[in-house]
Amino acid sequence: MKGIFSRLILGILVLSIAFLSLAPILWILISSISTRAELYSVPPHWIPQYPTLSAYNKVLITGEGFRGGGGISAAELMRRGILNSVVISVSTTLLVMSFAPLLGYAFSRLRFRGKNFLFYVTIGIIALPSWPVLIGLFSEFSTLGLLDRKIGLILLSFIFRIPFETWFMKGYFELVPKEIEDAARIDGCTHFQTLYRVSIHVVLPGLIAVSIISFLFTWNMFMAPLVLTYTLRSKPLTVAMTEFIGQYYVNWDLMSAGTMLAIIPPVLIVLFFQKYIIKGLSAGAIK
Amino acid sequence: MFKKLSNWLDNEKRLAYAVIIPSIFLLTGFAYYPAIQSFRFSFLRYNIKMPGRIRFNGLSNYMEVLGDPIFLRSVVRVLYFMVVATLFVIIISLIIALVLNKRFPGRGILRTIVIIPWAIPPVVNGYLWKWIFNGEYGAFNGLLFQLGIIETYRFWLNNPFIALNIAAFTFIWRFTPFITILFLGVLQSIPNELYEAARADGAGAIGQFFYITLPSLDRVGAIAVILILIQSFTVFDDIYSLMGFDESTKTPMIYNYELTFEMGRFGRGSAMAYLIGILLFILTMFYIKMNVKRSGPE
Repeated sequence: MKGIFSRLILGILVLSIAFLSLAPILWILISSISTRAELYSVPPHWIPQYPTLSAYNKVLITGEGFRGGGGISAAELMRRGILNSVVISVSTTLLVMSFAPLLGYAFSRLRFRGKNFLFYVTIGIIALPSWPVLIGLFSEFSTLGLLDRKIGLILLSFIFRIPFETWFMKGYFELVPKEIEDAARIDGCTHFQTLYRVSIHVVLPGLIAVSIISFLFTWNMFMAPLVLTYTLRSKPLTVAMTEFIGQYYVNWDLMSAGTMLAIIPPVLIVLFFQKYIIKGLSAGAIK
Repeated sequence: MFKKLSNWLDNEKRLAYAVIIPSIFLLTGFAYYPAIQSFRFSFLRYNIKMPGRIRFNGLSNYMEVLGDPIFLRSVVRVLYFMVVATLFVIIISLIIALVLNKRFPGRGILRTIVIIPWAIPPVVNGYLWKWIFNGEYGAFNGLLFQLGIIETYRFWLNNPFIALNIAAFTFIWRFTPFITILFLGVLQSIPNELYEAARADGAGAIGQFFYITLPSLDRVGAIAVILILIQSFTVFDDIYSLMGFDESTKTPMIYNYELTFEMGRFGRGSAMAYLIGILLFILTMFYIKMNVKRSGPE
């Protein structure tokens, strides 16, 4: 009897957790394939009777239904936003992937003077509050001509990811059995070869986790690009989307399609790399 | 040529410096240096819209911020936001972690589903709920209407207190998965023998929870609380997209953006950035300290 009761409670909990996690996203998906009439119906049509891809067509191809400041069409806004987001996130991820293992290896395995100090200088960035940095960075970028440039955003997201990822990779390298590395050294491997032929196999899951989290961070980034970009040349998707919010009016059909486009990559990543993300999150937050 | 370089770099010290110095250089140039720059701005009368009229004015930016009723209200607001967020994130993520720690069909799928809110862009999170709580066509209104709870649609976000709570809710929705994962990691590492021993001693489900499960979450729970405090204090994207600069949800982070980049008041904005940065810095150092205990360099 008690078994049935507790199983019932578990079932209810499982269903409500799944519902609460997914419902908002499902609703924006439904909104994005509704016709305008159904989108603005009272009470709402929970299941669209005439599903349509017209909102996606508008934000990706025809661009009708919206003109932002300067006569930019919705499609141009979104296409450029997506392209910028892809360029910025992929470049940052590649940079982090190449530097994090080197830094992690150096801080965990190599002996050199000033190691503690340099390590704290590196992870000290984590403790820097964002506004003081961003305000100063705005003026620095404007002096250096890096404002409204994709390269500026890549630089910025690299700088804000690398302390976490170095710290994380360092922890991973400490798990590599010293004997394997010593054996490789005795066999005549240089440090580089030891790192990339031997240790890398042990730390690979960590490296994958680090790369995925860097990609998500950069793709999702909003506050910094809001400050540091102002034209389509560099605005990522997250910032470009804000154009759909007018002062008195929101284009909810375009907005819901745009929102879906911004959600799809992170959701796909979660679906495929769930295991690594879980590992990365817990190992990244708790040492 | 390459071989020579690689041999030269095979010296431990040389390799370490070759790898570390460039990144330290970048971090200093693009994180520490700008932070020092804005510290300097905080003592200047500096409006970016009037670049010709920059002059030193001592501590008066700090005095003005501390005497600014909008700023003081934003601090009270964010404290409320932090308390609500911490309470709910901890409780909900504990429940979800306990559920995910049970065996049931579909557990793997649920574990994947649960992470999704964490992975989507925070700015999109704000838009999702702005649409759901929309006063004219929102799904929340529609649901309550069809259930007979309300008779006419309401503009939920126009009520300042409700809007602040909705903002906190959107943060709770997005951040709960992260803490859930942390808790789940701990729960899965508790050896089963402990529970068996407790059962042998006659402890029921509640006794096991209070004597084994809860104490084992001690350290991670403390880290989680600090993480939530930091994250909820620094929320910007979700609130910006949900409410813009609306007074009802104007936290120091939002106000700082408005003051600095909308109004161009770099001097006063920098002073405010440093004032709110102090609290954040203390919280973060606390977090790093708790973590470095076991993972710091030898």
